[in-house]
Amino acid sequence: MTRTARLLLFALSCLVLAPATLALAWHMPAFGAHPLPYGEAINAVATAERHVTNMVSAVNFDYRGIDTLGEESMLLCAVTGVSVLLRGARGESTRARPGRVHGQPLRPRSTAMTLIGRVAAPVVLLFGVYVALHAMSTPGGGFQGGVIIASGLLLAFLGDGYRTWRRIVPSHLMDAIEGGGALLFALSGLLGLLTGAAFLANVLPFGEPGSVTSGGLMIPINLGVAGAVAGGFAVLFGEFLEETRVELSDRPAGGDT
Amino acid sequence: MIALLPWLVAVWLFGIGLYGIVTSRNFVHLIGCLSVVQASTYVLLLAVGYRGGAGAPIFYTHPPGTPAVDPVVQALVLTDIVIGAAVTALLLALALQLHKRRGTLDPDELRPLHR
Amino acid sequence: MTLLIAMLLLLTALAGTGVVLSRTPRRQVMAMGINGLILSLLFMALQAPDVALSELAVGTAALPLLFVVVLASMRMDRTPRQDEDA
Repeated sequence: MTRTARLLLFALSCLVLAPATLALAWHMPAFGAHPLPYGEAINAVATAERHVTNMVSAVNFDYRGIDTLGEESMLLCAVTGVSVLLRGARGESTRARPGRVHGQPLRPRSTAMTLIGRVAAPVVLLFGVYVALHAMSTPGGGFQGGVIIASGLLLAFLGDGYRTWRRIVPSHLMDAIEGGGALLFALSGLLGLLTGAAFLANVLPFGEPGSVTSGGLMIPINLGVAGAVAGGFAVLFGEFLEETRVELSDRPAGGDT
Repeated sequence: MIALLPWLVAVWLFGIGLYGIVTSRNFVHLIGCLSVVQASTYVLLLAVGYRGGAGAPIFYTHPPGTPAVDPVVQALVLTDIVIGAAVTALLLALALQLHKRRGTLDPDELRPLHR
Repeated sequence: MTLLIAMLLLLTALAGTGVVLSRTPRRQVMAMGINGLILSLLFMALQAPDVALSELAVGTAALPLLFVVVLASMRMDRTPRQDEDA
């Protein structure tokens, strides 16, 4: 299909769909007045039922827990797909030197960058752990905390360079944390079956509302999600950054040192 | 007007993202346009769950029973953002491999059926 | 409050259009970062702090970073280097 034909087809389908879409928008309930039966039900009962104060976490890790398990498997599949695609073509060797853009010299890292990286990394990591642990009481949770932890690990790359970063964050460890997180989630679901309840039934004591230890089974599930997301994103960063390196092993030693 | 605005913005984001995908000449740009289409679903879902004058669905300082917006759609969007990023990474990996193998990122230069 | 949401919604539409219309991938990465920031502000105004935090971490930091790394990897020329070495 040529570009013009494709654009014409797009314009035609827009013309056909636009009236229906606009009519739909016109007949939607007014913004701010949409009926919310499920949300209101959860807002009304969740604090009393599960002793948690963050309703979003209650939905994610308890009421819609099996849905989140599906999302975790999607994350696992996507990260595995990226690893297979990139490692399959590259091999698993991490002995490589930085690649270069043609005609541009490699500039050494400034000391300011190293300082900022070393100072900021622990703070960001701590913040990530804090966000991940306080899922049941305040905004945050495994999903956000995991991404922040992975970004904090990446600061070691900015500050101390690729080799140090790979030594601190070995890819095997990150693979294990990612898979282990998803496994912890699935095993937490099986805990309910052992006691004769349903899969993912919340069978642990609920704890004090508003504290870190509230939520019962949501705590291991949240930890599993945090591990899967942190490990998954660390693997993603690692795999993609590996792509900016030039492999040494598969070629004979060239003139470059 | 404000009663309609969120739905119109969601439709606009979806449409403009689709336009970008249709006219894109670069797979990396196309993946960026796909993230705009994703953003339209976030706007739509969160706008559906919004309740005028209500607070966030977190009863840490407010007692349960204060008016709050819908936590269900927020949970949907929250997981979608993180998983969407991982799937985007998968697409980027595909584009990267394509660039390595074929040396191009232009969808028009890839015509497997004509070869 | 309603006015703030209306302004942020319009900004979101503008930022999304900007992401699509910046055709050079390197510029698009910047547009995506700005888009993520505006989206997280909008989510904050829509009383969704969890989602705003997630979008801030993913849309403004992680995703643009992946794009930048992919673009850097694509700019690295592999073939001329092999000719040089050979």
